[in-house]
Amino acid sequence: MRKKLMKGMMTALLSVSVSAMLLAGCGANSGDDKAVDQSKNETEEATSGSNSESAAEADAFTYPMDTDTTITYWCDLNTNVAANYANLGETPFGKGLMEHTGVNIDFQHPPTGQGEEQFNLMLADGDLPDLLEYHWMNYTGGPEKAITDGYIYELTEIIDKYCPNLKAYLEANPDIDRMVKTDEGHYYMFPFIRGDEQLRVTLGLMVRQDWLDELGLEVPTTMDEWHEVLTQFKEKKGAQAPFSYEYTMGSLTDDNPFCYAYGATRNFYLGDDGQVHYGAVEDGYKQYLETMHQWYEEGLIDPDIATQQFDQVSAKMTNGTSGASIGWAGSRMGVWTTAAIETEPNYALSPAPVPTLNKGDRAPMGQIDNAVPNQGGVAITTSCKDIEAAARLLDWAYSEEGHMFYNFGVEGESYTLESGEPVYTDQILKNPDGLPVAQAMSAYIRGNYNGPFVQDIRYLRQYYTYDGQKASNAIWGDNDGKLHKLPPITPTSDESDQFSAIMNEISTYRDEMTIKYILGTEDIGTFDSYVSTIDSMGLAKALEIENAALSRYKER
Amino acid sequence: MFSNKPFKERFIKDMKRNWTLYAIAIPMIVFYFLFAYKPMYGALIAFKEYKPARGFIDSPWVGFAQFERFFTSPFFGRLLKNTVLLSFYSLLFGFPAPIILALLLNEVRHTVFKKTVQTISYLPHFISIIVVAGMITDFSMSTGLFNKIIEFFGGAAHPLLQDPSLYRPIYVASDIWQQIGWGSIIYLSALSGVDQQLYEAAEVDGAGRFRKLISVTLPAITPTIVIMLILRIGSLLSIGYEKTILLYNPSTYETADIISSYVYRVGILEQGWSYSTAIGLFNSVINLVLLLLANNFSKRFTQTSLW
Repeated sequence: MRKKLMKGMMTALLSVSVSAMLLAGCGANSGDDKAVDQSKNETEEATSGSNSESAAEADAFTYPMDTDTTITYWCDLNTNVAANYANLGETPFGKGLMEHTGVNIDFQHPPTGQGEEQFNLMLADGDLPDLLEYHWMNYTGGPEKAITDGYIYELTEIIDKYCPNLKAYLEANPDIDRMVKTDEGHYYMFPFIRGDEQLRVTLGLMVRQDWLDELGLEVPTTMDEWHEVLTQFKEKKGAQAPFSYEYTMGSLTDDNPFCYAYGATRNFYLGDDGQVHYGAVEDGYKQYLETMHQWYEEGLIDPDIATQQFDQVSAKMTNGTSGASIGWAGSRMGVWTTAAIETEPNYALSPAPVPTLNKGDRAPMGQIDNAVPNQGGVAITTSCKDIEAAARLLDWAYSEEGHMFYNFGVEGESYTLESGEPVYTDQILKNPDGLPVAQAMSAYIRGNYNGPFVQDIRYLRQYYTYDGQKASNAIWGDNDGKLHKLPPITPTSDESDQFSAIMNEISTYRDEMTIKYILGTEDIGTFDSYVSTIDSMGLAKALEIENAALSRYKER
Repeated sequence: MFSNKPFKERFIKDMKRNWTLYAIAIPMIVFYFLFAYKPMYGALIAFKEYKPARGFIDSPWVGFAQFERFFTSPFFGRLLKNTVLLSFYSLLFGFPAPIILALLLNEVRHTVFKKTVQTISYLPHFISIIVVAGMITDFSMSTGLFNKIIEFFGGAAHPLLQDPSLYRPIYVASDIWQQIGWGSIIYLSALSGVDQQLYEAAEVDGAGRFRKLISVTLPAITPTIVIMLILRIGSLLSIGYEKTILLYNPSTYETADIISSYVYRVGILEQGWSYSTAIGLFNSVINLVLLLLANNFSKRFTQTSLW
């Protein structure tokens, strides 16, 4: 629709005004509606609340619920699901969830890749579904702001009343409890929780093991060894772009292990002094850029890193143009191996640790998620009429039965219990319709991506089929990344506008200069003026806001 | 001719006489009211710190703070320069292209050949910009089609879309490729309206083909050209963000980032509603001024104008 409007407009005035109207006019209405809704909901909550309390007293509550409410549930449709289903409700997972909980769910999905845009337009428009699944830390001003803005409910009371399972889990895990609250101590979402530390390490370097073997090389562990390996790949294996990835994919650039090798990151991190620091202006970052530029000049880094997308990287990694990349063990290492092994039976990828500068050192940093990563959290919006049904629907995931369902699916169909341990059936591991494991899994579970539940490590051990994948978590996680990972902190509502204004400018400038230093279109000699430009954009203020947020977090 | 009667009376009389024409006009009037005039009210949020949850009325007024933020932004100068230059090059090279094509086609006597060229040249207009941008990106890669051609002629291959100095040529050239055929239609129709007697008279006077082109054809289609030019100038700074966000990347921000792509990033992706509206409004005001200037010039020098 946006496109049509834009095309139809003759001048910018008109088009700007149209979007302004969409934002403004409707926003005004929704503000009023919301006030009404809220009071309505409060009364409903009060009545249904008292009902359930008496029910709980009588110890009568059991799933499935006896309700004819339909809950609308907005979430991204994972690409592995989208490959075979248009809607999560059509999958065995969706059907089973409704059956077990007794709640009818109407899943709504934004078009792939437009989640952010749709989410923001939905807020501006004010027409919200009952449940919103989102990476809530990205909400401008933080989750607390989403509550005070009147979009989502503060959940403390709701969890008390309707969510015995989640409540028990949070009470048993105070570290996680702290991560799912705001500074003000408010609960706001049903979180996605990584139930094991190994699940928190997801991304790292990978290299063609069959080439290493052929050339008589070891998996590289230092920057010098990497240089040697990539050079040999280029000279002896004819790899035109020995190391390839896509620069514009945020997480790959955020967690670039070559950057971590210098104790640097392009983002905020927790310093040894317990304060928040900004990596992209530090000396380590400069050294990283110098090395990358040198490699680029020598033709060791893919010349197209700034423009290419996943498809091109996949092609290069599977056809011998490239021999090393950054990525995830499942969606990249696994997918590429499966694709390449058909034509090259020896094809194998090995995970490589975060490189160090001196052999035998321990890498100072590395990728690691928080136990509550910023994804897949579900909030109940103020448009929701039947709070009890919504809350109980979500709380089920944290029960024993729900946990098994979210991670392993339907017993007898997608998994069986063998001496108490869940084992996936051939429906998943050797799908009769020839679906890749990731797609077959995604039809039955959410354990292999994210969502409002506790992820189980036992899924991963079966999901990974290649040796390289199985070794990946331990190798990628063997560093001090954990010490430098910032917990989920948020600026206050007042500071958030200022913070995002500052960081918007800084990150645009940083991304631009970083790639220019790597490509050599900007000389690294200007790094000092790059740093002072970032300072002049207000970095000190941003750091002050982050540090204050950190100390508030500690006091939660 | 009705000048001695009051407006109201004249209007009602005219209404009765031509009510069918008024009826035909209603849908367009409603369209413009709903999509062009009513939304102007929403542009007020440029002067507020708009928060959807607080609503349009209750969001606090902040005066020109949003505009100040934009004018003092470190990117302001660059955005303005990139927008103006990209527009200017599009105008300089993109505007004459369809006219030249139309004039050339007009000289072609072989009907089948002419029709074929016409059809082929306006086909790209119907290809979605997503597809076009995807083709350009692929062709511009270090191993892409464009680089194969460059290598064939002895040049060195390099990723073209990572070179800031090549961004504008690629953008403008692909625009011309996509729009030249479609744009020439209006000129071809103007050309078909030229009185054949003029050509015959010119021939009698001994004019050759080129002389006829200069002295007969061009003057005949000048009003069309001027009107098209004024319209074009009126939207000079309103280059859409679609093609830009599909083609640019951080390594070419230097020349590629324009006002509308910046508005897209700040407004839609980062919830800076008021800020992006302020920028859009600023853009519109400049467009309006340009349109008025162009129209005035044209009125003075060519006696052709929009109103």
